Amino acid sequence: MFRRNLLSIADLTNDEIEEIFELADAAEKLGADKVAGGRIMATLFYEPSTRTRLSFESAMHRLGGSVISCSDMKSSSTAKGETVADTAKVVSSYADVLVVRHYWDGAVQAMAEHAGVSVINAGDGSHEHPSQTLCDLYTLKQEKGRLKGLTVVICGDLKNGRTIHSLVYALARFGASVVTLAANGMELPQYVLERLEREYDYTLAPVATGDLKAVVTETDALYLTPKQPHQLALFTQLDPGLQTRLDTIVSGLRYDAFYMTRKQKERMKEGTAGNSYPTIGSEFLREQRFKNTVVMHPLPRVDELSPEVDKDRRGIYFKQAAYGVPVRMALLKFLFAQNDTKRAGVKKLPTWFESPETLGPQCANPNCITVTEPASARRKFDFLAGGPGGALILRCLYCDHRIKVQLVGHVKSKRYCAYDIALSDTIKDWFENKELAIFDSIKAAEEIGYEPYKSGPQRNIMDETAIENAVRDIARQILRDCDDPDRLLVLGIRSKGSYLAQRIAAELAAAQKRKIEIGEIEIYGSGDEIRRLFRAEPEAGPLNLKDREIVLVDDVIYTGRTVKNALDIIFRSARPKSVRLAVLIDRGHREVPVKPNYVGKHIPSSERERVRVKLREAEHDEKDKVVIYSIISPVEQQVGGLG
Amino acid sequence: MAQEKQILFERDELLRAVNRMAHEIVEQTASPSELVLIGIRSRGVHLARRLARKVEEIAKITPSVGVIDVTPYRDDRARELDSRAVGAFEIPVEVDEKTVVLIDDVIFRGRTIRAAMEAVARMGQAKRILVAALVDRGARELPIRADIVGKNIDAGAGRRVNVMLEESDGVDQITVSDW
Repeated sequence: MFRRNLLSIADLTNDEIEEIFELADAAEKLGADKVAGGRIMATLFYEPSTRTRLSFESAMHRLGGSVISCSDMKSSSTAKGETVADTAKVVSSYADVLVVRHYWDGAVQAMAEHAGVSVINAGDGSHEHPSQTLCDLYTLKQEKGRLKGLTVVICGDLKNGRTIHSLVYALARFGASVVTLAANGMELPQYVLERLEREYDYTLAPVATGDLKAVVTETDALYLTPKQPHQLALFTQLDPGLQTRLDTIVSGLRYDAFYMTRKQKERMKEGTAGNSYPTIGSEFLREQRFKNTVVMHPLPRVDELSPEVDKDRRGIYFKQAAYGVPVRMALLKFLFAQNDTKRAGVKKLPTWFESPETLGPQCANPNCITVTEPASARRKFDFLAGGPGGALILRCLYCDHRIKVQLVGHVKSKRYCAYDIALSDTIKDWFENKELAIFDSIKAAEEIGYEPYKSGPQRNIMDETAIENAVRDIARQILRDCDDPDRLLVLGIRSKGSYLAQRIAAELAAAQKRKIEIGEIEIYGSGDEIRRLFRAEPEAGPLNLKDREIVLVDDVIYTGRTVKNALDIIFRSARPKSVRLAVLIDRGHREVPVKPNYVGKHIPSSERERVRVKLREAEHDEKDKVVIYSIISPVEQQVGGLG
Repeated sequence: MAQEKQILFERDELLRAVNRMAHEIVEQTASPSELVLIGIRSRGVHLARRLARKVEEIAKITPSVGVIDVTPYRDDRARELDSRAVGAFEIPVEVDEKTVVLIDDVIFRGRTIRAAMEAVARMGQAKRILVAALVDRGARELPIRADIVGKNIDAGAGRRVNVMLEESDGVDQITVSDW
């Protein structure tokens, strides 16, 4: 069945937004006609809200519909561990539209995928809050009569404000200019700026200027403007000559609106950032050039907006809040009407990347629904070509976060290599043929049997005896450092780390004449991440990590990110007494401050090389050994083959 | 009764150590423009600001300074369910593709740094994370290393190392005392 959702402001075309505004103008009539008569709206708020929730509920009541809600989602079935996907399915059978706010980025989209009715995003994590954006745009339009050509100054926390990102995109779509004035460290994220440039043809010119007065004098501000018709668009780089001209032009601009955001006091207690948060008082507005500049704020405010502005005709934030009801009435009416027309799905299917293998890239945003609750949202990504240095970038379809592609693989030949710009055409072919795999790490690729594209002879670094001696040596050192062998737990990182963990534990058991508990930790899985290895104690319960002396075991340490992930997983479940790290090979090139306590062998290696540990448990016909060889890309291999 | 207190670093030595650390930070970063300093509340923040000024003198580039408050991430606290409540005192900075230097006054068991790495991951995808500490007490309980250290002190488990900084304590000094 066809149904419309509002998850992002991008779900609505400009014409549709205008249509909603027209409906909002006639909100009284919509109420009188009881257009939502007989319909039920469910409000599911996993985070507190006053304005958004009340205005949605008020809107529904005014339209003659009814509202069901759960006063505190956290104390409901969520506390019993129900996934958002299941909640969405269940509540869909109780209501005709769901209005959801959730603390995870992308959670509302995941719910929409599972719900049988329309879903409205009332704020997901720090991602989007589109109905607020509609209210903001409507307010601006009511006050100024138009959106195109307006110059809006956006102030405050531009990094975390979900309303801000939606608003900036929407202003861009309607051709308004934007001046951003961020509090220290809370600038508009780079990906937002890039999207403005790429999709809306905006250019940014930095205006060297520090607090709000800066628009007049000197501060750090970014000036964003549509490429046409402004000449300013040419100024993408700052040089001293341009600076003066730019200042003149900028200070000569008319500002139509100041959009303030909440000063999050709790963030400000420390240090200097507190001083640089832009504030607005009546003295500031006294300037002639702000004569017709309206002041907006999504509320609640702290002290960035002086109460004396309330009396000023230009302070329109309470009006802005009041518009929340008619705009949401219009939005509900719009969605109901769309659903009722039962149009064929005109939505074109996006071509996204979903890993063809069981292991694939993970969204790097720890608050993304695909990370916090993978059962509710399968990881899906868009490709964004042309990152810095020709990087290939993936954009998470749930939270918009971007990750850089590190390793690519070919599904049929089960080969992998590091991504390189020279590969872009090859990758495109692979993707179109559904033969493209993407991995976050070499470990992930090899875990599912991928081999590197390789060249040159392998060099043997360790043989069977050397590995055996190294394992025994590590076991001896573990015992030397161990305070209480009863608390010892050897935890292998799957899968080669697990084999080594079992060998080390066997040495320990022989030396101590007692059983040593062994566990396995899975870095890339979802769900059951730490488990007992069956050999330890067959019928024992779940592995207890609390107050244990854990020895984490892996075959090779390289960037250290795998170990960091393992530590995150361990500490998510319990607080061990200590964690020590044992590795067979340390090859250097650390990217995180992780240091092994026990190392079988240090091997200096280049980043273009691959160190591979082969263990008889994994490759049945081979003897234990460690080899090193260089990695080359499929393109190089072809060239090499021709030569 | 007066506490048994031993002064390890006077002002001059402390300033020299900070100076040396700033040089090491610059040396270990491929390009100073990709450098981001993140102070761990609260003395780490003061140190981060000092180091940022020193780096500015050396490399003629001002690194951005962020603040991490690890109390919500610390494993020895009951876990807070509401993820939005986390990091109330933080000042986030852009870390994507940057070399992030985590700065604290004392590194000891390694638990604070582990928690801080989790906080950095919330801000974005750092290219590399380094740890700089004015004092390294050793005796790690986690496999975490300090890349840049002002002074190594083996104080013994039962004693306390106090880093005092002018910004918060009115004096620049490092002392060791019984609890």
